[in-house]
Amino acid sequence: MKLLSHFDNDYDEDGFRTCSVTGLNIHQDAERYVKIYGVTAVIALVIGGIFALTVALTRWELFSLVSEQNYYRHLSMHAWNILIFWMVFMEIAILYVGGPMVLGRKLPLPKLAGLGYILMLVGALGVNWAIWTTPAGADAPLLTAYVPLEIATEFYAFAIVFLLGATIAALPFFAAIWLEKRGNPGKTLPLVAFGAFITSIIAVQAILGGLAAFGYAFVWRVGIIETINTGIYRQLYWIIGHGSQQINLLAMITVWYFLTHVVGGAVVVSEKVSRSAFVLYLFFINLGAAHHLMVDPGVSVGWRVFNTSYAFYGAAFASMIHAFAIPAGLEVGRRQRGKGGGLFGWLTSAPWKNPIFSSTIFSIILFGFVGGITGVLMGQLQLNMTWHNTFATVGHFHGTVALGTSLAFFGLVFFVVKTMFRRDFISTKLAQIIPYFYAGAMGIATLMMMYVGILYGVPRRTSSAVENIPGTDFSLSAAELLFIPLGLGAVLAIVAGALFIVVTVASLIFGRRLEPGDDGGLIPDGGMATDGGITAEDIHAADMRGTFTMCLIFMATFVLLYILNWFLLTQLWQIGA
Amino acid sequence: MSTPLDPPKGNWWDIPVNRRESIWLGIAGAWSLAIFGWMSGFTRFGDQNPVGETYEVDPDEQWARTQDYLDDAETIEIDGREAVIPPDDSVYITGYRFAWEGLPVALEAGRQYDLHLGAYDVQHGFSVRPEDSLSQQINLQIFPDTEWIVPMTFEDPDTYHVICNEYCGSGHNGMHGKFYVREEL
Repeated sequence: MKLLSHFDNDYDEDGFRTCSVTGLNIHQDAERYVKIYGVTAVIALVIGGIFALTVALTRWELFSLVSEQNYYRHLSMHAWNILIFWMVFMEIAILYVGGPMVLGRKLPLPKLAGLGYILMLVGALGVNWAIWTTPAGADAPLLTAYVPLEIATEFYAFAIVFLLGATIAALPFFAAIWLEKRGNPGKTLPLVAFGAFITSIIAVQAILGGLAAFGYAFVWRVGIIETINTGIYRQLYWIIGHGSQQINLLAMITVWYFLTHVVGGAVVVSEKVSRSAFVLYLFFINLGAAHHLMVDPGVSVGWRVFNTSYAFYGAAFASMIHAFAIPAGLEVGRRQRGKGGGLFGWLTSAPWKNPIFSSTIFSIILFGFVGGITGVLMGQLQLNMTWHNTFATVGHFHGTVALGTSLAFFGLVFFVVKTMFRRDFISTKLAQIIPYFYAGAMGIATLMMMYVGILYGVPRRTSSAVENIPGTDFSLSAAELLFIPLGLGAVLAIVAGALFIVVTVASLIFGRRLEPGDDGGLIPDGGMATDGGITAEDIHAADMRGTFTMCLIFMATFVLLYILNWFLLTQLWQIGA
Repeated sequence: MSTPLDPPKGNWWDIPVNRRESIWLGIAGAWSLAIFGWMSGFTRFGDQNPVGETYEVDPDEQWARTQDYLDDAETIEIDGREAVIPPDDSVYITGYRFAWEGLPVALEAGRQYDLHLGAYDVQHGFSVRPEDSLSQQINLQIFPDTEWIVPMTFEDPDTYHVICNEYCGSGHNGMHGKFYVREEL
């Protein structure tokens, strides 16, 4: 707390201040907790990032850094710290931004924000401890902690503590929405607050699944029940296993709307369409948990087809709506201000030197083209046979989480450094290159993961398969060559990630203090809000042809990859009844 | 048009949608239904579906069945190793840490077999590919408490390699087995 007071801003007697970039009224409690949760998330990223290096240098069998006996501990550390702790601590911070800050309210129930934080921290430390003290050669949890592996009982216990903490930490957000709606009946929530609200409901669904799964495994491990059913655990587990990634998705999309607006000047082209897309998520996205059960025994075809498609692709449709609405908001907002003509002038003339802007745009493009398309492909019942548990799966979720969500969160962390910690970057040049460097390196690594998985069947979750399968001459050495760009891309992406941490931390400690009123160079050219706006009459005059063209390119890519994947599948021998 | 940080004013629901956005909604919606239709239809007309009967079975029973099957089976020597010749169309393959019971097995090309997939201990991954064409590979999840009967017909004579692709403990990287698919046995 003492350390944080170093970063305190000046508040009025009610505890509020006005943000010089967004114009939002920010209360000190909300701001303090956004900082605390954000900093903790970055620490988790550091730990997970260190293990990214040991994992990458093991899978790149030129090095085979970690032995089979120890590898799975390293993989578990990487998975839990990045996929869970970096993400969920950030997401609580996002809820406090999307709720109290956007609504200009106090943070209600600040003690619960503190209690939730402490429980999450204890849970996270405990999970790390349980993973790291797993004896060499004993069963490590990995992300999934699949039963009936004999995973440390404490692991399940601390995972439960973490989830309870996250639930408590979300309560102040719910209270803020409740108070806002009670105090202003009939008033609509701003889109960012609405997105955060839907995110939080999906989070609760996911957490309930997680408590059920880890609770079920826990009572089995301590001997209260004698047997545990593999299929039931998997169904329960994937409610959180997949659901937590849906929280990432919704939080990221909310951040996209937020950041394209505050640093790019984007508007909302249709409140109706964007909100409907969020509602589609609310109803359908968690059905996607079934993606992980496509090649499981014991689940019927009808159940699998309905759930994996989020009920006729309701949630994929929602994502394609956002894929249009967000760039269209940027296009219309910039065109209204006369920034850039032609088909793509609005985009090429955008503030690409602002790392917050560039990381947001790379996040949108790479998530859509790399993570989004592959997610739908591998989620198809039959195609899943060629993707399941191969390295291509790992490629998919590095496309969604490492490229999509992490890049968006990098942008958000930079934004928080400037607007809440009120520090200038220690080096603007260095900050500028990070999104390009990271997106490029991680993009290459991700594509290579997919190639080695689909074209050579290289499995995930193993310490060796390409050079050496112990006990046999057979290996997947044909994939060897592709591991060079994969390994180099991964190592460079980790370097870029380290650079992000260095710039963030150094800016916090040594960065020039931004005085009240200084926007730190963030306000988009021509201002954030447009003059007058567009009315019902002239909506059709708004020009969205650049976005429309990009979306057609996206659709063509999608169709092409779909056909290619199905072609590969139909080359296989006959399988199934 | 509104910003995402301010409440929209007036009756925002009734503001019409831009034509290009409407067209995109149509394209995205049609594509969503199309890929649903294809996936659903393929379960009826397609040749590759991860579908088969499943039975709950406890590991002891799974062990007994696999042993009965192995007792009934003949063996043949291929590449200096003894391979199982299944007595009929049923082929039992049971995973355990860190090997596949029932492998290697010798199968006839073009004949449909019922693969009885299961495990004695923990979850495993049944990942198969022919030696000469690594891009042709399929992956199925194997449970210790469930027997999954998946029919398969291997058309091309080749040696098929099975590796475990679900983490099943330290030593998992060496869990490997083979099918020999031959024109005649």
